[in-house]
Amino acid sequence: MSRSLVAWVALPVALAMTLSACGGGGGGSTTEGKEDADGTVSIYGTEPKSTLFPANTTEAGGGKITDALFTRLVGYKAEDGATYNLAAESIDSSDAKVYKIKLKPGQKFHDGTDVDAQSFVDAWNFAAYAPNAQQAGSFMSPIEGYKDVHPADENAKPAKDKMSGLKVVSPTELEVTLSAPNSVFPIMLGYQPFAPLPKAFFADQKAFEAKPIGNGPMKFASRTPNALIKLERFDDYKLEDKVHFKTLDVKIYSSQETAYQDLVAGKLDFMEALPPSAKVGEKYKADLGDQVLNANLLGQSAIALPYYIPAFKDNVKLRQAVSMAINREQITKTVLAGSYVPSDGWVSPGIKGYRKGICGEYCTYNPEKAKQLFKESGFTGKLTIQSNQDGGRKEPLEAACNSIKQALGVECEFVGATNFGAFRQIVDGKQLTGMSRSDWSADYPSIENFLNPLYRTGGSSNDSNYSSPIVDQLLEKADGTANQDEAIKLYQQAEDQIAKDMPSIPTWNEKGIGARSKNLLAAKLTFTRDAELAAFRVKAKS
Amino acid sequence: MSDPGSVSGGAGLEASAAAGVDQASHLDDSSQKQRKPRSLWSDAWGELRTKPTFIISLVIIAVIVLIAVWPTLFTSVDPRHANLDKSLAAPSGDAWFGYDLQGYDVYARAMHGARASLLVGLFATLLTVLIGSIIGIIAGYAKTWIDSLLSRFSDIFAGVPFVLGAIVILTTLNAPTENPGQVRIITQVVLSIAVLSWPVAMRIMRSATLVAKQQDYVRAARGLGASPLRIVFRHLLPNTVAPVLVYATIALGAFIGAEATLAFLGIGLRPPVVSWGVMISESRDYFQSAPHMLLFPAGFVTVTVLAFVMLGDAVRDALDPKSR
Repeated sequence: MSRSLVAWVALPVALAMTLSACGGGGGGSTTEGKEDADGTVSIYGTEPKSTLFPANTTEAGGGKITDALFTRLVGYKAEDGATYNLAAESIDSSDAKVYKIKLKPGQKFHDGTDVDAQSFVDAWNFAAYAPNAQQAGSFMSPIEGYKDVHPADENAKPAKDKMSGLKVVSPTELEVTLSAPNSVFPIMLGYQPFAPLPKAFFADQKAFEAKPIGNGPMKFASRTPNALIKLERFDDYKLEDKVHFKTLDVKIYSSQETAYQDLVAGKLDFMEALPPSAKVGEKYKADLGDQVLNANLLGQSAIALPYYIPAFKDNVKLRQAVSMAINREQITKTVLAGSYVPSDGWVSPGIKGYRKGICGEYCTYNPEKAKQLFKESGFTGKLTIQSNQDGGRKEPLEAACNSIKQALGVECEFVGATNFGAFRQIVDGKQLTGMSRSDWSADYPSIENFLNPLYRTGGSSNDSNYSSPIVDQLLEKADGTANQDEAIKLYQQAEDQIAKDMPSIPTWNEKGIGARSKNLLAAKLTFTRDAELAAFRVKAKS
Repeated sequence: MSDPGSVSGGAGLEASAAAGVDQASHLDDSSQKQRKPRSLWSDAWGELRTKPTFIISLVIIAVIVLIAVWPTLFTSVDPRHANLDKSLAAPSGDAWFGYDLQGYDVYARAMHGARASLLVGLFATLLTVLIGSIIGIIAGYAKTWIDSLLSRFSDIFAGVPFVLGAIVILTTLNAPTENPGQVRIITQVVLSIAVLSWPVAMRIMRSATLVAKQQDYVRAARGLGASPLRIVFRHLLPNTVAPVLVYATIALGAFIGAEATLAFLGIGLRPPVVSWGVMISESRDYFQSAPHMLLFPAGFVTVTVLAFVMLGDAVRDALDPKSR
């Protein structure tokens, strides 16, 4: 993608529409050559933080594995995130409240059992049931009866363990009733918690943890903690996104830099992101040439200011001051080497419902005003930004801290955790002691996915512990609006309220840059910055 | 650099330590009658004064110590002041060593980083020598079973490879979710270096003590009914301390290198502490685009380590008359 920065910001909608025609064929890169249908592909990975249950994996390290192991009802096109049916034959609804879902016949789990309607219902009930404490359980909240299995009060015992909105009609048909009309629901069905689970899961979860059994194009082969996760092609897989290679090695790296060296040397086949060092002076272009992959990303980087920290609570002036003290323009150009663009809102450009400049002057660098607001905020002491320090996360935030320090004249320090798992442990445990990195990568291309998980009370990734009745109400209303355009208007109103409260400070939006090795003939980067497994073609060794 | 124990040449030093003590004790009575008797130390000083390596290393060390004690004498720039406009800028008249990724002045950071690096080296050496000498002198002087007990105990520590041991200690003390403070992390690094390196000092001290113990003056003192404490402090220590001092000088350089190693691995000193190791660790990813970020702090480490090793070598030669 050689678009200028201005064009990128000014024409997000046009970009989204023309993306498939730009930059090496819309996220892909191909070379001519003989193909090896039984080859091995190795991809960059990070150590999964939690069990490899589809509904318990909300971070990228584990998500990469469960994504390959489990197939959902719908899939997303790599280029623009448009949905298409995978396990589902059809998804119909007349009122956006009751969905009739029909499955394609003859689908199998890796252990040979059938993928039927019951396996979906069981999995969704498991995910939603509060005592199971599944990280992504809140994604089930649109389904009727969710409140019975997942009470708002964390300590209350749920009245039921099954959601009333789920009904098995026949082995290949199920009916889902939502608590309110929700036009986004069919898009949501492609997200990982909506994967089916086999009977074996409910029989022995410990065994499943050690050797997950899914219905996806890849099956689990072996795992060496902190080193390698090996997946193999599931030969009985018949759906559209089946793979064209045999073995998938997910190599666990603690540093992107090392992985990049391996990629250039041909010891690693795919990386969905490149380390900052490779981006300095666009070095990767010289290193990799046509092996570079581009994609439109639906990501949003932000800095969260948790409400459970007394100094941050309801101190909007402080939030605004900090935001205005960050020189986004300069940091994206220098430290981030132009691989990001400054952000001006809480929704990523390129998706429907994005409006330019929602954050307005508060996301524009203005040290004088920032200093004045900071004085009025009455904050004393030291600011910190917490994040994992691997994967190129440290440099931009250290730069942000320096920017804050110089603009506000307050001590600011970057506080690093060794890896992403450790960092998420701190965040999920609500043990942050200062500001924290809160980057979000959309699961499905909808404005809803940028707001509900992050800013709704109790949302799965509500890192700042934000809770606003107004936002909750607007989101609830928007979720229940069948008409998509009207729904988007309500979501935008919610974003306006978020802009007023500033639970998190938008920082930048990433431009997707990945790469493949010479061993591959083709690879594709998706809008969620993942490998499109079905697009991998391995070069035959002659 | 990976193993400060091996840098010091433990076994060789041990042997020469024994020989040195042997020689030293004979020095007084066997010295030539026509010349004024000289002590081991004044003899060594006379030897050292004329050695160019000694003078050069001493000058380098003096400069570095001055930098560490008084960095503002050399630079007026704040090492934590970032100017992103100059990110990765090459060396120039404004900033002799250029700027790093965050726009920090590399020269200012190298000057301010000397203190942390030197402090770690100094305290680690002090602790290593203290622990090693005390245990070594007890082992050498005491009865056999205490000696074997202490020797085997030190073998346990000597058997642990340095980097591996340090990784285990530092990662165990700091859970990945924790963020230790400045003082705490410096203390931990010093302690882990000392814990893993004291056996070398202990062996040198022990073998020196074993030889010195057999000398006539020690026997005479014991025969006159001197207490063990008096024998150790009045008679043994002055004659056994020389080889340990030689080791300490060389080890100090090696420990500065060890600090850089640990910081590079991300388990030693870490930002916001500025040290040479931290600087090297921060610059490793940008070597191709901005080599000055790595070369200057690495150069400081190399020169400092070299100076201490050279000094140690010179002192060892001077204290070991046999080698002349």
